[in-house]
Amino acid sequence: MTSSIWLGAGYFYIDKNMKTIIIGLGNPILTDDGVGVKVAQQLEEIIDRDAHPELTITEASAGGLRLMETLLGFDRVILIDAYYLYEETNNPGTIHHLTLDDLRSVSPTQHSTSAHDTSLVTALDAADKMGYKVPRDFSIYAIEVENILEFSETPTPAVAKAIPIVTEQIITELSLKIR
Amino acid sequence: MERITIDPITRLEGHGKIEIFLDKKGNVENAYLQIPELRGFEQFSIGRPAEEMPRITNRICGVCPEAHHMAATKALDALFDVEPSSVVKKLRELFYNSFYVTDHTVHFYALGGPDFVLGPDSDPAERNILGVIHKVGVDIGIQVIECRKRNHEVIKILGGRGIHPVAGLPGGWSKAMTKDEQKIILEYAQQNVDFALFSLKLFDDIVLANQAYVDLIVSDAFTHETYYMGTVDENNLINFYDGMIRVTGPDGKEFVKYPAKDYTKHIAERVEPWSYLKFPYLKNVGWKGFVDGMDSGVYCATPLSRLNAADGMATPKAQEHFERFYETLGSKKSNGRFTPVNHRLATHWARLIELLYAAERMQELTKDPEITDPNVRPIITNTPTEGVGSVEAPRGTLTHHYKTDENGILTDVNLIVGTTNNNAPIAMSIKKAAEGLIKNGEVSEGLLNTIEMAFRNYDPCMSCATHSLPGQMPLEIQIHDADGNVIDTKSQYID
Repeated sequence: MTSSIWLGAGYFYIDKNMKTIIIGLGNPILTDDGVGVKVAQQLEEIIDRDAHPELTITEASAGGLRLMETLLGFDRVILIDAYYLYEETNNPGTIHHLTLDDLRSVSPTQHSTSAHDTSLVTALDAADKMGYKVPRDFSIYAIEVENILEFSETPTPAVAKAIPIVTEQIITELSLKIR
Repeated sequence: MERITIDPITRLEGHGKIEIFLDKKGNVENAYLQIPELRGFEQFSIGRPAEEMPRITNRICGVCPEAHHMAATKALDALFDVEPSSVVKKLRELFYNSFYVTDHTVHFYALGGPDFVLGPDSDPAERNILGVIHKVGVDIGIQVIECRKRNHEVIKILGGRGIHPVAGLPGGWSKAMTKDEQKIILEYAQQNVDFALFSLKLFDDIVLANQAYVDLIVSDAFTHETYYMGTVDENNLINFYDGMIRVTGPDGKEFVKYPAKDYTKHIAERVEPWSYLKFPYLKNVGWKGFVDGMDSGVYCATPLSRLNAADGMATPKAQEHFERFYETLGSKKSNGRFTPVNHRLATHWARLIELLYAAERMQELTKDPEITDPNVRPIITNTPTEGVGSVEAPRGTLTHHYKTDENGILTDVNLIVGTTNNNAPIAMSIKKAAEGLIKNGEVSEGLLNTIEMAFRNYDPCMSCATHSLPGQMPLEIQIHDADGNVIDTKSQYID
């Protein structure tokens, strides 16, 4: 039986039986790049996993094809990643809540996260074309970052502040039970 | 030429930025690909226990964690002075070849191949895996995904984790292979061989059967005569996991063969005032600038380089294709070796031959009865001091060098990553492509596509710094006049 929760304003319609994956993206040893991974780790620690058998929480420092392959078979995907804008507009710690279409518009199909990979959007489109079960729902938390070129396990202060906020937002979005 | 120094930070947004410097007449004087440099890895590592390195270094890069894991593990073998047992070496090599199958597959089908499958003049928005599927069919796309899927499973079975493996230990491997796993992997290896043969056939049908493409491959615009580096076994055949580093000259003769631990005797790094990139070169030839030839210490480390540096492939089907490769591209045999193929675009073909070798080697290793021997974890008793570990990463020879105190705490770390080897050859290839299309300040059509093809074949890895959203990978070309002013900027998004 499907049980649904209406979150108001018509934006989110959550199905509790939807197979959901939360992925913290990034490199955990590259200062702010690992902010997504840190959110995923925090969720892993506080969520009551017994109450959410439909939920998978993981981390990945992969983009494009490899990321797409991880998502196949899931209905819903929550991605958390670092977001770097141009110097003049970048405001570290700012949280953006994006859809896959937003990603498509900032990163049209031909764009890439890596010279050795294809973009997530391209990879998903390709998988869809090949008949794989591609997730329908995407909710993307993008956190503006300051430093993604220096090795460190500690995010910069403004970015660190965003971690508990995003964690809370995801708990609310998915109506997750905490331990 | 006016020298310009730009703070690396201000270049951050241009992951794929290429700078071209013109002389007074408006002709190309210098060109290079700019890759963001990650800083502070040494400081990050110092003070940590050395045995953490296989798990830390595999985080450096989301593209080849397996290569870093393996180079780090081998550096620990040397550091703790322990020779891995035969089964450990075989398990590691099997794991590593499975990684090669996934990595080379992505490059051919999603990155380098589209230039050929769709044509070098096609719209860059189409020149990606979607375009390939559109052109050659959905079934091929499914084969690519299935190939990656089964090899990721092998990596997980053998390496302990899907994306960031954890199995490497000093002198050992944390997990033995069961007989059931052996059965599964053997089946996958056979499928890999079939897939590699299919890919080579596709290359035949689409590229080699098209004279225009063959002409492009052998054209002067994409040809450079340099030294070549690769790892070889005791018979001078290619091995990705272990062996001696062999360097051969543009004349096809062996220049030097050395154990990885001696790398500092043979490799030096050139620093140029206009780039923060380091340009490794052969110390004993010397630096003569970004030029071809026997007197120039520039060397290249790619699939093409590995084929050129070796006498052949260690598996039968790959050896057949190796011979066909050289015969087709007009190479002659001299003293039992083929003279080198210097056409950079042939790297795509070489990559597929390596794909076949990796698949066949997986088969051989999995069939070996010893592969299920459970004795994979030795007890370490030696005091650590210093160790160098090296493997052939898909993008070139990868070297890890660690020093520790007597408690195994790191005091010094140095890495030479695959792409770095090719910094000078990439700059040369870009320069040559640009020279053909920029004359007396006039920029011809097709500059971006041609330059992209010129550096794409090296499969340069810039992913370390480009994980973050929005995930754009703009290829931007800035053309500077003789006074260093930017006179033109062109860009397109690449996949």
